[in-house]
Amino acid sequence: MTSAPDVARSMMHGIFVGEIQALEGAGRTCFDFDVGPGNEEIPFELKLDMARQCWDEARHVEISCKLADFMGTEIGEYGESTILFEAACNADPALRLAGVNRALEGLAIDVFNTMREFGQDSGDPVLEFCEDWMLADEVTHVKMGSDWLRRLTAADPRRRERALEFQRVVDKLFSYGGLRGDDEQSPVRLARRFRELAGFDAVELDEIGDLSREAAVDRKVAAAERRRRAEVA
Amino acid sequence: MAVVVAPTTFSLVNFSAAEIVRIAERLRDEVGLPQELDIRVEIAEDSPTGRVSTSSIDPLIVTVEGGAFENPKKIRSLSEPNVADVLGVLFEQAADRMDASFGAPDPDAELSLAHRVAWEITAVGRLDRLGHRVQRPRRLYQFRNRHGFSDVSDAAFDQLWARRPATWGELVAISDAARSASLSS
Repeated sequence: MTSAPDVARSMMHGIFVGEIQALEGAGRTCFDFDVGPGNEEIPFELKLDMARQCWDEARHVEISCKLADFMGTEIGEYGESTILFEAACNADPALRLAGVNRALEGLAIDVFNTMREFGQDSGDPVLEFCEDWMLADEVTHVKMGSDWLRRLTAADPRRRERALEFQRVVDKLFSYGGLRGDDEQSPVRLARRFRELAGFDAVELDEIGDLSREAAVDRKVAAAERRRRAEVA
Repeated sequence: MAVVVAPTTFSLVNFSAAEIVRIAERLRDEVGLPQELDIRVEIAEDSPTGRVSTSSIDPLIVTVEGGAFENPKKIRSLSEPNVADVLGVLFEQAADRMDASFGAPDPDAELSLAHRVAWEITAVGRLDRLGHRVQRPRRLYQFRNRHGFSDVSDAAFDQLWARRPATWGELVAISDAARSASLSS
């Protein structure tokens, strides 16, 4: 029987790889844009925030690496994707903030909160405290995303809407077919309280819950279609 | 008697029934299950998760969700170490149930998580001594999750890993002692 600790190990491995990509993404945002008011420029203070995020992500990589080792996981044990980094390479900094800082770092809030609760339930103090510290950083990163998105798009509602649409796409993609959701039975539960602290309002949170339910339906339809094709073949 | 794998061909994953039969036959012999025992391995290839269960001991019928046999680095491909890890534990536990001197473990559905994990640990320890690839730190974490993060728990793990308890009662006693020591500390 696959046990909860094994699921936690694969999730921890995914977090480790995600942290590497988040570090790379924040570093790129510091480097890719000149300082200025244009759509392909960013304020110097945003660069400072991204530099601070690099510092946090580098620490998270180290923590995740050691936690994975503590949980008996070998680096490279699971296959991973590079979608987080791809979202971090968007040409528009506003879309990077929406896709990475709000959608993906928001997901990190949900995952870290789930892992923290798993550590509490299983009596694992190491996992619980490490996740708690990383969770605090993620709330800060999402808050930076929420604040800067508002500031960069204050005079351009269409740009803000494009960024929020990108965020919705990433949110749905990373609900893992409804695995992350707002329902009681969701393995990774939407961490409403921490997301509120990071600048999400109730309407946005309800929308993320709805997107996850849609993704769950899409996953079931796709699985049924695969089975049908297999039977025909 | 034969080891049978169902289905015989796979369409959603790149598994080979013949390869699984080969691994299962080797494990049967290593574990010491009777040659005349009918063994059937039923695989749900449409499930990427990894639940496994034993529905009958004689004939031995095990049901496996496809994810349990997959290579996690190369999704949909068969992983020989994972097949050996999963079937090895199930075969070891079937052998324990057939051994009258071991006593009678509770039915699978009634096993507590702590006892289930303790039994898995001693089975994987035996696979280690047979030369199979096992992940000792992973199993230690699994044991700690059910018995507490303490030195007493780690000592109980070492004991179960190094030697199969002579009886089910001894195994339960080791597990219960570790759990109660951790809870009271």
